[in-house]
Amino acid sequence: MTGFPRQLLFLLLVLLPISFSSACCGAERRVRPEITVRVTPDSVLVGDRIRCTITVHHSEREIAVLEGFDRSDTVAEQPFELISRKHSSSLPLSGAGKDAFEFELAVFGTGRQSLPSFTVVLRDTAGKVTKKIPCQPSASVFVRALTDSTMHDLRPVKPPLKPSIPSLLIISVIVWVFGVAGVVLLLLFLLKRTVRNSAERVDSGQVAQRKLRKLGSSLSAGMPPHECYEELSNIMRSFLENHYRISALEAVTQEIERDLKKLGVAGFESIMNLLKQADLVKFADSRPDVEESRQSLHKASEVIRTTRAQKDEG
Amino acid sequence: MQHAVELEELGVQIKEASRFLEKAGEQLSQRIIGQHEVIRRIFIAMLVNGHILLEGVPGLAKTLIIRTFAAAMNLKFQRIQFTPDMLPADLIGTMIYNPKDMEFYPRKGPVFANVILADEINRSPAKVQSALLEAMQEHQVTIGSQTFPLQEPFMVLATQNPIEHEGTYILPEAQVDRFMMKILVDYPSYDEELEIMLQSATTASELPVLPVVQPHDISRARALIDRIYVDPRVQRYIVDLVVATRKPAQYGMANLETMIEYGASPRASIFLLLAAKAHAFLQHRAYITPEDVKAIAYDTLRHRIRPGYEAEADNIKPDDIIRQILQHVQVP
Repeated sequence: MTGFPRQLLFLLLVLLPISFSSACCGAERRVRPEITVRVTPDSVLVGDRIRCTITVHHSEREIAVLEGFDRSDTVAEQPFELISRKHSSSLPLSGAGKDAFEFELAVFGTGRQSLPSFTVVLRDTAGKVTKKIPCQPSASVFVRALTDSTMHDLRPVKPPLKPSIPSLLIISVIVWVFGVAGVVLLLLFLLKRTVRNSAERVDSGQVAQRKLRKLGSSLSAGMPPHECYEELSNIMRSFLENHYRISALEAVTQEIERDLKKLGVAGFESIMNLLKQADLVKFADSRPDVEESRQSLHKASEVIRTTRAQKDEG
Repeated sequence: MQHAVELEELGVQIKEASRFLEKAGEQLSQRIIGQHEVIRRIFIAMLVNGHILLEGVPGLAKTLIIRTFAAAMNLKFQRIQFTPDMLPADLIGTMIYNPKDMEFYPRKGPVFANVILADEINRSPAKVQSALLEAMQEHQVTIGSQTFPLQEPFMVLATQNPIEHEGTYILPEAQVDRFMMKILVDYPSYDEELEIMLQSATTASELPVLPVVQPHDISRARALIDRIYVDPRVQRYIVDLVVATRKPAQYGMANLETMIEYGASPRASIFLLLAAKAHAFLQHRAYITPEDVKAIAYDTLRHRIRPGYEAEADNIKPDDIIRQILQHVQVP
C-alpha cells in the first residue's frame, strides 16, 4: 500500500506542473486587443497620397471590424479622400489573430493633419460583439503647400471620378448615333442620285421648245416685243446651261461665246446672234417689231432642234 | 425706236471720236511690249477723269508706260519720287519771298502737270500723301492763301511695290478709295520678255514718241461718254455687285460674310459705272452691257474690299472674293 500512494504522489507531482502550465497557457490565449496605426510617408505635398495601416491584434476566437474610418462623413470632414482600402487577416501565433486594414488616402489642406478617429469592433465566432474600442490615432501627417519650387509636375487636385454612366451604355449610344447618321447619309445619297437621274431624263431641249411655243402664244396675245426678247434670252441661257453644263445664267454673252467655242459647238454663231440681238433689246433700248420677234423665236426653235440633233448624232 | 436710232448715231460718233486712242495705242505699242490691259485701263481712267494705283514689282515698265502715254497724248508729264523726307511743299509748291518788291510769290510744285507719276507713293508719310490726294479729289491746290486750279486733264498714276513694306506708310483705306482703279502689273509672257530683251538691249537711243492727240480730242470723248446709254437693268446690276460686297448673304454667299471685313463704298458704284462707260466707248458702243461691268469689276473693286481675318488666314485675296461675287450675282 505504501507503494501505491508514492506512485500517486509521483503522478500528481508530474501532472500538476502540466495542468498548471496549460491553465496558464489558457489564460494567455485570451490576448488583450492591441491596435497600432502607421502612416507612410509622414510628410507630403498637397494632393499626394499616403498609406495608412491599422493593425489589430486580438485572440484567435475573435474577428476585428473597423468602423467609422472609411465612412464618407467622417473622412469628408477631414482633409482626406479615401482612394482604396484593403483588409487582411492572419494568425501569426497560436491563440492570437491579426487583422490589418490598409487605406490609401489623398491628402488636402496644409500643415499638420490628424488622422480621423475610428472604432475597432471585436466579434466572437457567433457574430456577437464582444468589445468596442474607440480609437483616436496619434499618428498624423504634415502637408506642405505647393509652391513654384515644388511644382515640378501636375498633381491631381481631386482623385479622378468614375463616370456615373456605364461606359458600355456610352459605347452603345455612340454606335447607335453613328448608325443612324450613316443610314440618313445613305438615304440622302440615294435621294440625290434619284433626283439627278430624273432631272437628266428631262430633256432641256424639250423644255425650251415648250417655253418658246408658250412665248409665241403670249406674243400673239399682245406681249410687248422687248419683253419677248428678254424672255427669249432667259430661255436660251437656261437651255445652254442645262444642255452644255455651263453657267450661262450668271455669264455675260461674251463668256457664253467663249465657253461654246471651247466646247466646239457647231453653229454657235446662230446662238450668239440671238443672244446679241436680245442684248441690244435689253441694254441698247432697241425696239423690234412683232414680226422680228416672231422670226427670232423661230430661229431659236431651229437652233435648239439642230443642237439636239447634233448631240444625238454625237 | 427713236432712242435706238439715237444710240446708233452716237455709236458712229464714238467710233469717230475714239480714233485718237488708236493712234496713241500705236505709239505706245512701238515702245511697250505687252501690258495691253494696263494700257487699256489707263485709257479708261483718262477718259473718265479717274486716277490709278499701279501695284507691281520693280522693272515691269510702269514708268515707261506712263511716260510714253503722256508723250503720245501730248500731255505734260511729271514724275515725283516719293521719299520719307518729302514735304507737302515739295509736291504742291510753296510761297517764296522776293526781297526786291518785299512780297511772297507762289512757286508751283511738280503737281502742276497733266499726268503725275507718284512713284512709290507709300514711301512718304501721310501728310504728303494727303496733299496729293486733295489735288486728286478737288483738282485744285492751295499754296498759302491762294488756290490754283490744276490743268485738265489731270491724272495721277501712283505706284507701290507689293513685296517691300519696310519703311513704307501704307495708304489708308479712305485714301485708296479715291483711286478709280487698282491695277496689278504682272510679268510679261515668255515671248514678250524675249521681245523686250531684244528691243531694249541696245545702246541706241529710244524711239521718239509722237504726240498724236489734241486737247479737244479728250474733251470731245468725255462729252460722248456722258451720253452713253445705261439701261436700268445694268444700273441695278452694278449696285447689286457693290451691295454684294457688303451683304454677301443676301445674294446667296453666306460663306463670304466672315471673309469680308468691310465692302466697297458708294464711290465704287460711281467708278464702276464710269469705267464701264469708258470700256463701252473703247468698244465703240453707245450703250453698256454687263460685259463692260464685269471687265472692269476686278480693277475697280479690289482695293475697296478689305478681307477679314478668316480670309487672310485662308490666303483668300480680294480678287477671289470678287470672282465669287461675279459668279453668283445674276447677270440681267
